[in-house]
Order: sequence, then structure tokens, then C-alpha cells
Amino acid sequence: MSVPDGLATGARATLRVAVTEADTAQAAGSGDVPVLATPRLLALAEAACVAAIATRMTPSLTSVGIAARLEHRQASPVGAELDIEAELTEIDGVRLVFVFIARPADGADQVIGAGTLERGVVDRERFLARAEGARHRLD
Amino acid sequence: MTEVRAEMVANVWKVVASAGDTVADGDTLVILESMKMEIPVLAEAAGTVSTLAVAEGDVVQEGDLIAVID
Repeated sequence: MSVPDGLATGARATLRVAVTEADTAQAAGSGDVPVLATPRLLALAEAACVAAIATRMTPSLTSVGIAARLEHRQASPVGAELDIEAELTEIDGVRLVFVFIARPADGADQVIGAGTLERGVVDRERFLARAEGARHRLD
Repeated sequence: MTEVRAEMVANVWKVVASAGDTVADGDTLVILESMKMEIPVLAEAAGTVSTLAVAEGDVVQEGDLIAVID
């Protein structure tokens, strides 16, 4: 198991998203206010990490989330537009370390969220087989 | 004699080598599973596997003996 040859630090991607009702803490069940939910911000940051390396992965390999450290510094109401940028900063065996930052899409000099995410490169089929094995052990 | 020990807490996913096998430096002995990833445990020397101390499904702690290569 190793990472694809073309994968290198510096790979990056930016996602632009508009906050919808479905993204709110109320909808996510993580709180009761109608602003961007922290777990939703985490999911968007993970998606930006996946996008950053998407063109460098091979069909048999994928990556899975293994650790996260996230600051959610500013509330975003429904309708707010965000840019979420992720960059691959470290490759340690099959462990990938990313940093991400979420900013207002209008270019305002503010930080909505920031953090460090780790993902592990796995063989897609073997990973799913191991997950199935884990379920059988629990049965 | 070279002892190969676990570097982390992990599940033993696959046992690749068997006692009595001749291995080269860098051959995979065992594949551990930790943090959802596969972590291969490699022979740190060439020789014969005299002891293979783990079985598939075992949980190893950091420092646990995995194999001995003579």
C-alpha cells in the first residue's frame, strides 16, 4: 500500500458553496440555530481535501478521514457564500495531512473556519472488505 | 536475531509470513489495521522467521512482539 506516484504536497482545491437550510445546525441536529453547522463545515472541508487530490488518485484507491482539528470562528447565515480551500501539506506513508481555511466568497478578509485534517489512503475494495469483517465480528 | 515489534495499537488484519519462511529485508510479514488504514509490518533483516507471535484478529499493543527473524 502506498500513495499514487503523482500525489505531492501542494495539491489544493477550493470549493464555493452557498449555505442552505439543509446546512444549518438545526438541520444537522448539532444545535438549534439556523446558521452553518460545524459538522457541515467539517464535511465541506473534507470534500475540499478530496477534491485537492482527486486527479492524482487511481481508481482502486481512495482516502478516508482519520482525524480532524477544526476551528469554527464565525457564524454564516443561510444564503452566505463561502470559499473553502484545502491544501495537502504532508505525506507520511499512507497518511495525508491537509490544512483548510474557509473564507467569505466576496473576498472579505475574514476567517470563517480553519483547521487540519488527516486522511488515510486505502485500497477501496480491501477497505470495504475489512469494514464488512468488522461488522461480522460485531454480530 | 531481530525482533519485530508493533509500533502502535492495531488489529492484526493479515498474517502474510509463516514461521520457517525465508524472508528478505523489507518483505511484508503482517498487515496491521489501525486508524482505518493498512499498515504493513516489514522484515527488518533477511533471515528465517523463527517465531510469528500474532494471528489474524489479534489486537497488538505498542511494543508487542510480532515476529523474530534469525
